[in-house]
Formats: sequence, structure tokens, C-alpha cells
Amino acid sequence: MRQLRRQWLFWGVTGAVYLFLLGPILAVALASLEGQQSYAFHFPPEHPSLVWYSHIPQKYWDALGVSLTAAMIAAVISTVIGAAAAMGLVRGNWRGRTALQAFFNLPLQVPLVVTGVVFLQFYNQLAFASGVDPVGSLAGLVIAYVFVTIPYSVGTVGAVVSRVDPRLEEAARTLGASEWSVFRRVLLPLIKPGLFAGFFYGFIVAFGDVPVAVFLAAGGFVTLPVEIFQTLQFDFDPAVLALSTLVVIFSALLIVAVQRLVGFDLVLPSTTR
Amino acid sequence: MSETRLAGVIPWRRFLWPPLLIATVLLVVPHASFLWMSLHRNLGMGLVSATLTLDNYRRVLTDSFYLGSLWLTFRLSLIATAIALAAAFPTAYVLARTRSRWVSLLIALLLVASFMTVVIKALGLSLVLGQEGILNHLLQAIGIIAQPLLLLNNDTGVVIGLVQYTLPLLVMLLFSVMQTIPRSLEEAAELLGATRLATLRRVVLPLAMPSLIAGGLISFNLDMGAFTSAVLLGGGKVLTLPVLIQRKIFLDVDYPIAACLATVLVAIVFAFNLLSVLLLRQRRKTAAEGVPK
Repeated sequence: MRQLRRQWLFWGVTGAVYLFLLGPILAVALASLEGQQSYAFHFPPEHPSLVWYSHIPQKYWDALGVSLTAAMIAAVISTVIGAAAAMGLVRGNWRGRTALQAFFNLPLQVPLVVTGVVFLQFYNQLAFASGVDPVGSLAGLVIAYVFVTIPYSVGTVGAVVSRVDPRLEEAARTLGASEWSVFRRVLLPLIKPGLFAGFFYGFIVAFGDVPVAVFLAAGGFVTLPVEIFQTLQFDFDPAVLALSTLVVIFSALLIVAVQRLVGFDLVLPSTTR
Repeated sequence: MSETRLAGVIPWRRFLWPPLLIATVLLVVPHASFLWMSLHRNLGMGLVSATLTLDNYRRVLTDSFYLGSLWLTFRLSLIATAIALAAAFPTAYVLARTRSRWVSLLIALLLVASFMTVVIKALGLSLVLGQEGILNHLLQAIGIIAQPLLLLNNDTGVVIGLVQYTLPLLVMLLFSVMQTIPRSLEEAAELLGATRLATLRRVVLPLAMPSLIAGGLISFNLDMGAFTSAVLLGGGKVLTLPVLIQRKIFLDVDYPIAACLATVLVAIVFAFNLLSVLLLRQRRKTAAEGVPK
């Protein structure tokens, strides 16, 4: 009897946790269906309608384009850098490998808001010295995101590479495969899950970021989360609810796709990484 | 033999140099110029003095306004971390122990909650927690409260936002550790007459302790640096360090003080981590010595 009660307690906490985590996201989706403009939230929607979905201002679509582009480019660059670093770290037989790994993880120790200010100030000084101002440009944003996301790609690719048995490549070599085809037909397929997971991490971190982009966005160059952030702070627009719902659906699909593609173990964080 | 051959075929070590160079440049150059900035006096209009000075640090570390912000950030982060850990432990335990078919769906939902951009989560929380929000409506309808609870634009709102920010990550982290704790240990303890509570307290908890501490640290670090939820759920009234840093840049255009505040924030987070790593090592050492032969 007592055993049953304890289980109920734990399941109760679990239920509350899920409600707390997902309830607000569902609330956004439900609120987006309320057709009448109002600042109060009605549940269930009193005038169900999809009207806000056709009233999303152009600036949000532009911002979505900026976010997708910046996150995509940054994720690709950091996956390539991370993969090279992971191969060099794991296969290089370094004596100070943990120290090197810790070095690549340093960006995780810096709060994102600090990274934002650091790069803003650095870009300002660069502009002062050279006349080229990376603030409010794609390059400026991508460089900061590469800095932020390298730890994720080094971690995920590293976790996969250390599981690959080098004898497989040796076998291919013995059987007469060239170095290129060993890489393309043996190593690459084996580390592919790590590459996908690294890309995914980089993309999702960069795509959802506010604290870095809030400093580096300028003029017409603003990312979607920053655009939403400004709307919430200064002038609420119900269209934001509709737009957010679309982002929620997009993110959920992306996450499920990645989970299918690479499985749980790479996406779940672990204390050893 | 195979190692030397492998090393001979492909120069793996060389793969490390370009990433190491890039990571070093991205780390050192901007941060060095940043530290440099924190050592100058602000002259207004984005200009700074030419001479080096420690004045900014002296100001930040003696002025009660900045110290208050520091203490607020620390306190809210600590409270949020404690709540998140208390909620994450039972949840991770349930997920790791249940034999339900729904586990993979539940994990996928955690991933969604964890990777969703913070702005949308904060937007959702403000819909739920507002004075006209769902929660207050619900509680008033049931008759638990007469007046709506003030859950937004204050410390409470920020703490709730912080908990939501780190909770899914903590659950995933603890889940992946608890999966590795063999069920048989608990069964053995129960066979030997331990109650469920005693089994949890004396078998599961000690085994999960290192990951609880590691998770608590990660959560605390994230909370100390949390910007988006602190701004949106604090309504600009709760001035934690990250919020203050942004204000110094945008409202006061005081780059040196912002740089100094940011440096102090990073230093505190770093020192806290270092301290707990040392404590953890000490604990492990005494634990190892305490084991009867």
C-alpha cells in the first residue's frame, strides 16, 4: 500500500513537470487561435479562427530567413571544425587530451549574454580600426555562433569517433582501398550520426538564440527570436502567437526527425561529455 | 604495432591544428579586447579614456547597487536550481524505472521542451501566469484565491522562468545516469527489508549524487547567465547581472562598466565551478578513506 502511494507521488511530480514544461507551449498554440484581438487570454478561444496566421507582418518572415541562414551556415562551419578537432583529438594520441577537450569546451563557461557583449565590443573596435563593421551583418552573427557552438560539435563527433574501431579502416586498406575511399566508404558512414547530431545542436542553439543576436542585430538585420523578444517587450502583436506556433511545429518536427536519424544516446546530454 | 601504422598512414594529429587555431583566435582576441575595455574609464558617447584604471572594478565591487544585483542573481539562481533539482529527480527516476511503452514519447517531449527557443517558452509562461492568465483564472474559479497572484514582472516570475529553462536538461541528464543504476540493487535492498524510502535514500540517491551535483552546477551556471527569461518574466524590473549588462550597453552606452560586470559574472561562475570541483574531489577522497577494509 505504502509502495503504491510513493509511486503515485513520483508519477504526480512527473505529471506536474510535464504540464509545467509543455503547458505554456500549448497555451501559445491555443491563444493563436483566438480571432478577436485582446490582451487577455481566453481559454478555450471564444472566437476560433486562423486569422492571425494570414496577418503575420513581413518583418517576421524576413527575420525567419535571417535566423535560418545564420543558424544553418554557423552549424555547418562548426560541424566541420568540430569534426576535424574530434578526429585529431581522439586519433592523435595526445597526452593532454582532457585538457585539450576542456579548452574546446570553454565557450560553454561563458554566459551567452557575455558572448554577445564581447563580440559587439570586438566588432566595434574592428570597425574603428579597419572601417569594416560586422555588427548587423551575416558574417558577424555567424562568427559569434561558431564560437558558441564548437563545443557541441566537438563533443558529439568525439563521442562517436572514439567508438569507431580503427581496425575497420585498416582492413579496408589491406583489401586495397585508397585513402579517399577508406574515408568515404568506411569512416564517413561510421561517424555520420555524430555529424548529424553536431549539426543539429549547432543549428538549434543558434536558431533559438536571443542574448547573442540582441547585441549583434542592427538595422534591418534581425533574427526571429530577437524580433519576437522585442515585440514581447515593447508592443504586443497577436500575430506573434501564430508565428510562434509555426516555430514550435517546425522545431518539434526537426527534433523528432533528428531523434529518428541518430537515436537518443547522442542527443541526450551526458555528464562525461 | 597497429597504432604506429595507423599514425603513419594518416597524420591525425595535424587535424587538430586548424580547429585549435580557430578556437583560440575566437576565444582570445575578442575576450582580450573586452578585458582591455573593462580597464578604461567611460567618457560618455561610447568614448573611453586612454589610461588604464581599475576604477570600474572598484565601483562594481563596492557600490551597493551592483552588489545588490550580484546577490539577487546568485540568490535567484540558487533557488531556481534547488527547485529544478527537486522536480527533476523524481521525474528522471520514474522515466528510468517505468516499463511503459510511452517512455520514448516522453523523452521526445522533453527534447522538444528543452530545445524550444526561450522566447516562445517565456511567451507561453506569461500567458499562463499573468493576472488574467490561465492559472489565476483557474485558481479563482476553484476558490483557492480571492485576488489574482502576482506571478509576473517580479522575482517569482524570474525564478519560474529559470526553472523552466533548465528543468528539461536536468531531467535528461539524470535520466541518462539513472538508467545505468541496476534495478537489481534496489531489489536486493528491498529483499533485505529496506522500505522504498530507505532504498531511495540509501541506494539510489548516493549513486545519483555525482550527477545531481554536476547537473546542479550546469543549471546554476545557466541560471546565472540567463538573459531572455529574466528580461521577459521580470518585466525589466528584476535587474539580475545579465539584464543589467544589456541595460548598460543600450541605455547608458557605458561599455567599460558593462565589460566589467560581464567579467565579474564570468569570474564568479568560474570560481563557483572550480570550488565545487575541489569540494567534490575532497568528498570523494574522504569517502574512499572512510570505506572499511
